[in-house]
Amino acid sequence: MSNLIDIFFGMALVNNLVLVKFLGLCPFFGVSKKLGSALSMGVAVLLVIVVASAVTWPIFHFLLVPYGAEFMRTVIFILVIASLVQIIEMTIKRTNLTLYNALGIYLPLITTNCAVLGITFINIDQAYTFSESIIAALGAGAGFTLVLIIMSGIRERLDMADPPLAFKGTPIAFITAMFLGLCFLAFRGIIR
Amino acid sequence: MGTRTNGFFPVIFLTLIVFISVAALTLTDAITKDKIELAKEDEIARMLITLFPQMDGFTYDEQNDLYIPLAEQQPLGHAFMAEQSGYSGVISILVGLEPDTTLRGIRIIFQQETPGLGAKIVESFFLQQFPGLAVDDIKLTKEGGKVDAITGATTSSSAVVEGVRKAILDKLNQLGRET
Amino acid sequence: MHSFTKNFLRGIIRSNPTFILLLGLCPTLAVSTSLDNAVGMSVAFTCVLLASNIIISLIRNHVPVRVRIPVFIVIIATLVTIVDLMLQGFIPALSKSLGMYIPLIVVNCIILGRAEAFASKNSTTNSIADALGIGIGFAWAMILISLIRQLLGTGKLDLFGRHLFTVPGLGDNPVAIFLLPMGAFFVIGVLLALFRWMGVSTGE
Repeated sequence: MSNLIDIFFGMALVNNLVLVKFLGLCPFFGVSKKLGSALSMGVAVLLVIVVASAVTWPIFHFLLVPYGAEFMRTVIFILVIASLVQIIEMTIKRTNLTLYNALGIYLPLITTNCAVLGITFINIDQAYTFSESIIAALGAGAGFTLVLIIMSGIRERLDMADPPLAFKGTPIAFITAMFLGLCFLAFRGIIR
Repeated sequence: MGTRTNGFFPVIFLTLIVFISVAALTLTDAITKDKIELAKEDEIARMLITLFPQMDGFTYDEQNDLYIPLAEQQPLGHAFMAEQSGYSGVISILVGLEPDTTLRGIRIIFQQETPGLGAKIVESFFLQQFPGLAVDDIKLTKEGGKVDAITGATTSSSAVVEGVRKAILDKLNQLGRET
Repeated sequence: MHSFTKNFLRGIIRSNPTFILLLGLCPTLAVSTSLDNAVGMSVAFTCVLLASNIIISLIRNHVPVRVRIPVFIVIIATLVTIVDLMLQGFIPALSKSLGMYIPLIVVNCIILGRAEAFASKNSTTNSIADALGIGIGFAWAMILISLIRQLLGTGKLDLFGRHLFTVPGLGDNPVAIFLLPMGAFFVIGVLLALFRWMGVSTGE
């Protein structure tokens, strides 16, 4: 049990996707300007990461490995993710129109989100069991959402501040990410 | 040749592309598979040779998960990997034993500890404390052992020490059961 | 011939993938800790982009619209896997330091973006020009960032195992933070601001 907790917090904080592993940067800087969109994107990504992990893990271990076809990993995983995103998008559209409108265009964008594919790879490379993979996915998605929310809060404030003209907009966002990363450094050492 | 957007053609096209992809990849895999195996063995050899400089080859004991470095077909000892959670992530340690199972030495294979502090576990001043230690001495000095922790990096130092000691005890146990 | 040069040059400065389009940042920031990585990644990336653009522009008139994206994805994923396997077999050291960022090239928005926006609509020659231009644009951005990070983070400059030079003073007391992720954010933030200040507008 403690191992699962380690994995969850490890993925969410110590090895945070955006600040440590550099995964999911595109949506991070593109979507983090407003709290609402940040939250929507975070939740959507969390959902896709968990489902993708749940689907790709058995495919790898029960289909690819027995046939010695580990090299098909990249192709199969990305196809699975692309299909999953389509399916999830259609399901949400049919069952909860308000949610669908809230998530809007963010869903299809998740296919090219390095975070999703990255986590599916990490699950394999770290030789996680199925439950460990799901927990890792949950942790990663939670960490991603957390950072996204924090970032959007800061950026909403930044919009009203007055940085040097050259820094306005994206550059200052990167500097902010640096400070955020520095803060998250403090989480090292909580896993023991 | 037109592109019909209805009917089965799109699906057939996609399936065709997938087939070509699988074929291309299977071919590539066939070409590179041996090279990749060789590269991995090479990497392990390079790791082992830092502990056993006279080595000219090695074998892998799959049953016991042990590497046996060889010099002219004679075993020089044993080596195996130990893993322990450090300050920020897992530390991978290579442990080398003499033929009489005393500790020959350790090497840090992978770590992501704090640069300038915990990362110093890879430096020789820390590692050279290990050769020749009895299992019970593989503890930090403040716990009655013979290994001085790195100043300001107690967690990393203690992780290495614990990892090595546990791995040796486990391995000796495992081998004891065999003979 | 004119359009070839035009398409080629565009990718280097005006549509620079890293600094202008702000695409494909994940690998750029992640592996830019050393010059070796930068060069290796740039070459791998450009190979995939080139091959992808060529193949897609060759079949562009035969691809049914409905399955366009999945087809592109499969092609790119295949190319990436080939590069990945080749690296593991022939340049294992590079494969180890670039790690999972090589297979992640498949979700690099740049490649899919170029396939969708350009290669599927332009001639093969122009697609080659585009790929080379974007590749070089990506490369010099990577190399610049890696240079800064490696020099400040380790105080030394090494290329393929050959030591080039050491910054006096920094060699013994490098600013290690530049090697960490936050250093990368800092470098690119400052660089973007610098370019902006020099009058180059970023696409936002």
